[in-house]
Amino acid sequence: MSHQESLTVIADVGEGRVDALKRMLGTIPGHVGDWHVVPFAKLSRVHFAQLCVLDAAELDGRRLPARLGMLTTVDAPLSEHLDDLSTICAEGMDAVFSHCTGYPAAPERSPATRRTFLQDRSLKSAAVHMNRRGRTVQQIRQEEALRRELGAFLDAGDFAGRSSLDVRNQVIAFVRGRPDLHWALRLTEPPALGWRVKNVLHAVFYALLALLLAPFALVCLPVFLWLLRRHEKRDVPDTSAAPAPAVLALRDDEDYWVHNPFLAAGSFKPGVFRKITSSLILAVADYATRHVYNRGSLSGLNTIHFARWVRLDGGRRMLFASIYDGTVESYMNDFIDKAAWGVNAIFGNGDGFPSTVYMVGKGITDEKAYKRFLPTRLVHTSVWYSAYPHLTTKNIANNEAIRAGLSADMNEEQARLWLKRFGSGNQLPESGWAARMLDALPWDRICRNWN
Amino acid sequence: MPQLELREIQGIILRGYGELNSACFLLLGIDDAGLAKPWLRTLALRNSEDKPQALDSCANVAFTPSGLKKLGLPDELLGMFASEFTGGMTGSSHRRRILGDRGDSSPEHWRWGGPHTESVDILLMLYVVDEEALRSFVEQHTGVLVRQGLRIIERLDSLTLPGRKEHFGFREGIAQPGIEGYGRDGVTGNTVAAGEFVFGYPNAYGQHTSRPTMTPDQDPRGLLPPAPDDPARRDLGMNGSYLVFRQLSQDVYSFWNYMAAAAPGTFPGDKTRACVALASKMVGRWPGGAPLVKSPDADSPQLADDNDFLYVRSDDADGLKCPIGSHVRRSNPRDSLDPEPGSDRSIEVNNRHRIIRRGRAYGPPAAPSMDPGDIIGRSDDGQERGLHFICFNTQIGRQFEFIQQTWLNSPKFEGLYEDDDPLIGDRGGTEQLPSGTFTIQQVPVRKRVTGMPRFVAVRGGGYFFMPGISAVRYLASLK
Repeated sequence: MSHQESLTVIADVGEGRVDALKRMLGTIPGHVGDWHVVPFAKLSRVHFAQLCVLDAAELDGRRLPARLGMLTTVDAPLSEHLDDLSTICAEGMDAVFSHCTGYPAAPERSPATRRTFLQDRSLKSAAVHMNRRGRTVQQIRQEEALRRELGAFLDAGDFAGRSSLDVRNQVIAFVRGRPDLHWALRLTEPPALGWRVKNVLHAVFYALLALLLAPFALVCLPVFLWLLRRHEKRDVPDTSAAPAPAVLALRDDEDYWVHNPFLAAGSFKPGVFRKITSSLILAVADYATRHVYNRGSLSGLNTIHFARWVRLDGGRRMLFASIYDGTVESYMNDFIDKAAWGVNAIFGNGDGFPSTVYMVGKGITDEKAYKRFLPTRLVHTSVWYSAYPHLTTKNIANNEAIRAGLSADMNEEQARLWLKRFGSGNQLPESGWAARMLDALPWDRICRNWN
Repeated sequence: MPQLELREIQGIILRGYGELNSACFLLLGIDDAGLAKPWLRTLALRNSEDKPQALDSCANVAFTPSGLKKLGLPDELLGMFASEFTGGMTGSSHRRRILGDRGDSSPEHWRWGGPHTESVDILLMLYVVDEEALRSFVEQHTGVLVRQGLRIIERLDSLTLPGRKEHFGFREGIAQPGIEGYGRDGVTGNTVAAGEFVFGYPNAYGQHTSRPTMTPDQDPRGLLPPAPDDPARRDLGMNGSYLVFRQLSQDVYSFWNYMAAAAPGTFPGDKTRACVALASKMVGRWPGGAPLVKSPDADSPQLADDNDFLYVRSDDADGLKCPIGSHVRRSNPRDSLDPEPGSDRSIEVNNRHRIIRRGRAYGPPAAPSMDPGDIIGRSDDGQERGLHFICFNTQIGRQFEFIQQTWLNSPKFEGLYEDDDPLIGDRGGTEQLPSGTFTIQQVPVRKRVTGMPRFVAVRGGGYFFMPGISAVRYLASLK
């Protein structure tokens, strides 16, 4: 089993080529789940893919050209994914990126030149959230197929009056009798040892570093808070609303499947203070998504498959992309109800964000301001692909627990809880203690009343 | 907490008129706004102050965006209404998708409110004690309004079925939110901020929901109250609400035929008992109204109107008594939601998605008694029957549409896989993403029934604005 990687390619669109590119990309309603130009479905290790156009913009008196974005989330190694794109998807890459400056001219196109182009334009994410690190596309698909098979087996039998252990044994016997399902009797392999060692070292190193710097940070804290509040008081929230047709068009991209792509871009508030603060926050977010929020919950939200924060334009702008279950209305309310502190802290450094108080207070708990502001920063996802568009994060986690339960030792009570998973899969894996402690706080109330 | 201005709030919103068994909804078009305005000025509207008496006749009125425009409301003010209202129930393919208005239920086939039907401007709602009184009350109104530049596009009559049931045979309209400042109902976790249902009061986020307000010069006669959150402006929305209307046709025979086919293998007892048991699991209440959480094994007349229960705190976190996918549980999950099911926080999250329901049945009962035992096994009489679903809320997107999409139509509600709402789900499934399954959580193993057809189809609908009484007079005074 391998971990996941994310690829973000941002390429300048050639002068006068934006309209043609947009026409070719089309819109999600025009090709729901079936875009023939780049056959992502042929790449068996791709979880999600998004293509978008970031329109030309002005920033600090500079003109930024229109950009084409390609965001993918894949099972490692990333190098093989780049190879796949440059070979299996060569035609599609040519069709899409030939609209961009610097793409090799037709006679020079080869897997190597395509790969170089993609690699040169790929940006590192400042932070990445994965619902569950190390869960591969193959595992997700196999475990859903397993759940369906076991469901049909349970439908056909009469288990009234049986003990839970007895039923579970019958399920295991059924799987044993099916050679095509034998894989399910073994646990998934953890990510490669090297990756795990690096991951632990990362956790320890930065924890120690934080501990070391703590006295210094503590001394600086009053000054920092004073500066923060001073900046916050001078910030001007953007109270303009996105044009109604644009909002309507964004909504029309949504809700064909059980999850949706989300994409937003904005600039940071100007100045050195915000630059330092946003860097610090993103570094904390990076640490938190790796080591704290790595079991399904992201500051209390458990509906996010993947999310990434990417700095653009020399760190002056940021792109946020995620794949989430449900509608954007439910996503926004989830943010307000469960994750206001995290959203405020990370996005509060963004220009025009609803007024925050000491970073985590107020902000998006002003429902009116937040729901007016958000559409002004949304970016159309023109193309998106999901390897399992019919599964929610809860479904995936439940399927994983069903499979794991086949090879575990259980008593009657544990078998009862395991069988419950066939009735509804609402029992998510427990977060680590730090995430549990953070999620247990009533953040919506705290943030709203934070003065 | 500001006091609710009961004299200003139209009576159907807070009172519901449960005492008045007969109702008629007139969908009107405005032919001549100059004539219609005097009618509107003198229209006797019932407010929320007094509980209606048996001999009362009550009228209330609501408007579509086209109605407001024809009366002369400037575009600037129209643009301040919510986009769900101005865009309309059928206004985008996205909205149709989340509401489940597809196939047979797609707006192209609607009798009213669809793209191919006359545009509705006004909804006039009339309530009296019985059918005879209704006849004369409706005549009295129609006689006047046809001379006042108005046209009747559709007349929708309603009745109260025996036992206050809907057509499948279940007592309904039991669970309503308690409204802050309007007499608490004493039910744990059921009191919701008034601003969720009436404009001009704080909502569940402690804010005043956006609505049209104007400068004083736009209200030269001073008919409108000042906006509570911006006293320099006059408030057109104050004491008003959005009214959602859906004409839902119920296929009673298909419903019970499905039970007859699926129940015997799933529940013990004779056919009728098994059918009622399965259907009750789907509803979450017994035909008589008793909630499964409190009375899991049999109906209980003492609990007919009982609404004082939660799920997690009432020892049913796993849905063993009231299935997780049952209609009442998914349309109001109470304390079941993240974060921390069973907590006050969970209830708070739930209460940001509530509606006041004021629906009424239409069409003849499938059996005079409305007892499922008398309905099961009957052959289809070909009669149209169903529910005029009506609800009130101030944020259609966060309340009505959210409930419809995220809780009812979504096959993924609370960790389920293929289960849309058993009663009113849109069965929008595909091969890859099936729906129409209903799971009954049990020990040791759940049971499930599959392949449910769509039992409820949409025949018409629209989003309306029901103004406060003063705002109605303001609309009647527009130039």
